[in-house]
Amino acid sequence: MTEFVDACRQEWKRLGVPEAVANEMAADLDADLDEARAEGVSAEEVIGSGVFDPRSFAAEWATERGVVPTPAPTLVEDRPAIPAPKTRNRTLTIGAVTAAAVIAFIGFALAIRHSGSVAVTRVVGPLKPFAPPRVEKWPVPFAVHGPGTPMHGIGVVLFLAGVAVLIAAALYWSRRARTTH
Amino acid sequence: MVVSGRRRTELLRGVLDLCLLAVMQEGPTYGYEMTKRLRARGLSMVGEGSIYPLLARLERDGLVETYRSASNGGPPRKYYRASAIGQEALATGVAEWRAGRDAVDAVLSPVDVEVKS
Repeated sequence: MTEFVDACRQEWKRLGVPEAVANEMAADLDADLDEARAEGVSAEEVIGSGVFDPRSFAAEWATERGVVPTPAPTLVEDRPAIPAPKTRNRTLTIGAVTAAAVIAFIGFALAIRHSGSVAVTRVVGPLKPFAPPRVEKWPVPFAVHGPGTPMHGIGVVLFLAGVAVLIAAALYWSRRARTTH
Repeated sequence: MVVSGRRRTELLRGVLDLCLLAVMQEGPTYGYEMTKRLRARGLSMVGEGSIYPLLARLERDGLVETYRSASNGGPPRKYYRASAIGQEALATGVAEWRAGRDAVDAVLSPVDVEVKS
């Protein structure tokens, strides 16, 4: 059996062509190629341009015979096991920018929430001469507040980091847009 | 020339089924013998599509009938012959080809240019 027929057989097997049909096609092809070879005729004269691409030739033949179960399985190398580099990079960039925006938002919220509004006070009673007014703090949901607290610092750091990433992404995209146009 | 080669391929693609049905009119034949009959008329398959998928389509469409028989001293071969529907399709196709060819000839015949080699 020639290398060409062998390649066709492999393709038929991959496509799920019934073995009996594949055997029949292989035998016919083999006999024709043998006869041509004996007469000094090239394989291209028998098979046409398909001789350069046995897999396509075999697939087309089997499809025309109606012996390929549908849908035909995809070649492993044809199937994108992992996204193409360009698509993967774009996905990663969008993910990074989204994460940076979320981090910046959380940081901003933390920094504002713990920004030291403890000094807010109100006078709750009438001013009386010779007596200090009654003062209460309002409202005080957390025990520790203020610009110097750890939560405030963490918030500021997160906010700045997020904003830095967003600015870097914006610069990168603007420079890339300039180079592509 | 690439363009003329492509044009030849496209023209052949449109009528190769008719050519196969036509060579079957000479008698039942198998794949390789068909290419020989075509080549004897100046129609080489070199650089062209294969006849095997086309024969499969003709068989699936009921335009040809097949049977297996031993060839001259060789292994059993799959023989093709035009079915009644195939003969009808051949007659129709040949009439269409001639009409198309005449119309194109009417346009191209007055053109008097020499091919530079």
